[in-house]
Amino acid sequence: MKRKMLYLLVLAVLILSACGGKPASTDTSEAPVTTEPAVVKIGWAGNPDSLNPGLAILTESYTILELVYDSMYELNLDGSFTLTLAESVDRSDDGLVYTYKIKDGIKWHDGKPLTAEDVSFSYNLYKDTPEYPYMNGYYTPYFESIKATENNEVVLTLTEAIPNIESQLVFLYVLPKHIWESVDKLEYENVEMIGSGPFKMTEYVQSEFIRLTANKEHFATPPKVDEVIFQTFENQDALVQAIKTGQLDMITEMSNTAVESLKTAENVEVVVGSPLAPDISDIVFNQLEDENCPKDDGGICTGHPALRDRDMRLALAHATDKQKLIDVILLGLGTPGLTLIPDGLGVWYNNSIKDYEFDVEKANQILNDAGYFDTDGDGVREMPDGSRPLTFRLNWPSDSITAPRLAELLSEMWGEIGVTLEMQAVDPDALTSQCCPAFDFDILLWGWGSDPDPSALLYVYTTEAIPTGSSETGYSNPAYDELYAQQQITLDFEARKAIVWEMQKMVHDDVVYIIPWYAQSTQAFRTDRFTGWLTGQSKVELSDVSSLVVIEPVK
Amino acid sequence: MNRTRTLLKKIAWAVFTILFVIVLNFFLFRVLPGDPARAGIRDPRLKKEAVEMLRVRFGLDKPVINCFESLNPIKVGSCAVNPLDTQFFIYIGNLFQGELGISYHTNRPVADILSERLWNTVLLIGAGQILSIIIGVIFGVFAAWKAHTSIDYSAVITSLMVWSLPTFWLAIILLFWGSSNGLPLAGKATPGSSSLPLLQQWADIFRHMLLPTLTYTIVYMGEYTLIMRSSLIDVLSEDYILTAKAKGLSTFQILKDHALKNAMLPLVTIIAINLGFTVAGAIQIEAVFSWPGLGGAIFEAVGRRDFPVLQGAFLLIAVTVIFANLIADLTYSYLDPRVQTE
Repeated sequence: MKRKMLYLLVLAVLILSACGGKPASTDTSEAPVTTEPAVVKIGWAGNPDSLNPGLAILTESYTILELVYDSMYELNLDGSFTLTLAESVDRSDDGLVYTYKIKDGIKWHDGKPLTAEDVSFSYNLYKDTPEYPYMNGYYTPYFESIKATENNEVVLTLTEAIPNIESQLVFLYVLPKHIWESVDKLEYENVEMIGSGPFKMTEYVQSEFIRLTANKEHFATPPKVDEVIFQTFENQDALVQAIKTGQLDMITEMSNTAVESLKTAENVEVVVGSPLAPDISDIVFNQLEDENCPKDDGGICTGHPALRDRDMRLALAHATDKQKLIDVILLGLGTPGLTLIPDGLGVWYNNSIKDYEFDVEKANQILNDAGYFDTDGDGVREMPDGSRPLTFRLNWPSDSITAPRLAELLSEMWGEIGVTLEMQAVDPDALTSQCCPAFDFDILLWGWGSDPDPSALLYVYTTEAIPTGSSETGYSNPAYDELYAQQQITLDFEARKAIVWEMQKMVHDDVVYIIPWYAQSTQAFRTDRFTGWLTGQSKVELSDVSSLVVIEPVK
Repeated sequence: MNRTRTLLKKIAWAVFTILFVIVLNFFLFRVLPGDPARAGIRDPRLKKEAVEMLRVRFGLDKPVINCFESLNPIKVGSCAVNPLDTQFFIYIGNLFQGELGISYHTNRPVADILSERLWNTVLLIGAGQILSIIIGVIFGVFAAWKAHTSIDYSAVITSLMVWSLPTFWLAIILLFWGSSNGLPLAGKATPGSSSLPLLQQWADIFRHMLLPTLTYTIVYMGEYTLIMRSSLIDVLSEDYILTAKAKGLSTFQILKDHALKNAMLPLVTIIAINLGFTVAGAIQIEAVFSWPGLGGAIFEAVGRRDFPVLQGAFLLIAVTVIFANLIADLTYSYLDPRVQTE
């Protein structure tokens, strides 16, 4: 017994001394971590969901896939595309057949040659696997057949001539046939990730880190650094602290509140700009007409009738001070939004649209002219027939950081024109079932992810999207639907661009949404570690392959 | 004889509780509104058919259970449905084969995810628990021994203070302090350290563990100190302690041979309960230090409606809590023979 007690005390002393000796122990074990090869340490707040290209959904997965695999085209940071795997492409006159001549001498990371066989195998895999959500549903529906010929060519035949073959192929990563033909395409986790891209997968610990080694034999863009590490930080303050103290060389995100303090930090440069894959925030008005209510798909359709009136929405647009929203909520890190097509989409973004100016008087005038008056003197206007006050339900997903503040500011701004809001945060899942295609709401604060091609987001405004749940507003305009169909088959770039611009003008004129802002992405890198980060581009993404293959250590 | 029966009874209760948890767990998540196939994915590129495919893949197209038409918002299933073809019975069937299902989010087997995370959590929280118990008990004994002196008061005040500290706040303060002293800020190991010799790997993990363990220890030791102190003071006021004193035993002997064993009883309860919850991790600590433990996995799974992971994790927690309580029960009857007679 006596001995036991003594043991306990000794243990306690040992522990206490271990606590005291902390800083000393760090110095000694620091040494083996600093290795000689040029290792780029990147910190991010997320991590890939899956490394199987067919099943991956998160942007983080695509960042890694982009580095380890090649695809037919490479999306550049200025929004253009470069032919990567093929040395030439030939399009038939009817626009239905594309023939790609694959470059000779390309090798997989395991040394085997990459040929047209691999390309056609991969495209067929994506096409024939309905369980691959994006690949099958969005990128391959126009594929009729894919064949490899003897002289290393891939012949891709389409069911329809489409204008955006580059953006359809850019995320179809080419996989090694000799590995994928013998695995279960749904269960394969693809942790080994044998690819052909500029970086090889070396070590992957889910939710912790990803280690990539440079593929110095890459046929197009061999990296100048030796290794890239992506480390997951669940806490953004830690992320910022880590780059300040030099534990990281680059961070892909930070909270807006950290930007100012990081700008003044030593040896750190902060980069601000449009994100590579912009997320669009929107203020959604339920303007569904009763005859379009998708009852068969669960439509309940309880929207406030006033929101079906363009004048009402126009007045709300005039009463919205977007600059103030950006300054208060994003601390200035955003640009005023117009439609769902963000400025980050480059050429597709219609920059000629003039936004509704912030003018409360004008907004009030519009409502007066349209017959919305405050008849009972409670400070809230009523419908022209006096039936209902202009009290709207405003909901947002409870996991949104910006929405609560946005709601508060909107309630203040719109209060100026006699509109009140019943505000409530809702669980994102519950909100989905409330939103679309149920249309059981008045106004929502939400958002969309985007694609390099504008088609995906333009689809959201179509009548055909109402029962599918993609349309949040219930907007229906036959003229718009026709333009949508037309831009999908217009092969001439300039002609298609003109249509896309006209469509944006149309939905902006109809005030389908109010887009409060296009948020900017902020990233930071250490200037004393690596140079050459691609920063002068129209989009900011330091972890993009084009950036990671050109950076080199500071001498 | 009597002892075996009590033991069997207790084990039977534990098993029954676990079964109850399995059923409750399953329905708890199904009652939530919304559609896991669409959770976290808001993208116009995801077509209706693709969402339908996801549903089929994860068996979400099947009715939750048969014969519960009126139980909304659970999706209805009619009595005509073969009960074996419902989500509930498929889940139970898989469970008995030791399968916890496939994560909706990462497409990986839940058992793999949980076992990876479990060891990280046990490592971190286990170390934190042991440290805080040892320090807490020592402080508590000291405080009780020197009851109503300045040592006692400062121990009580310090304990109350650290016990009421917001965990995340303390964690962030330590994080900032640690980063300026060169301690790592995230993860369990330095990426790439797996190629180092074993001893250096351990040193690396030790460095990563320091800050989170320290946070955990500080937050929990106050609780142990206070409980140990008050229970020991109680015991010290008993008549038999007076007798021991009268016999001329030294204070140390009184504490060691007469007081401590009896004073440990309430502490055993608390330790057992806390050890059970160890598996749940300390979500806040794991989040601040990006520790890849179970707490973090649960947090992420909640956000993504990843039912299989949540169900698996909750089951794991339930089993450990129940098991820890069972152990506590048994230890109790050993420590205090009076308990057993009931």
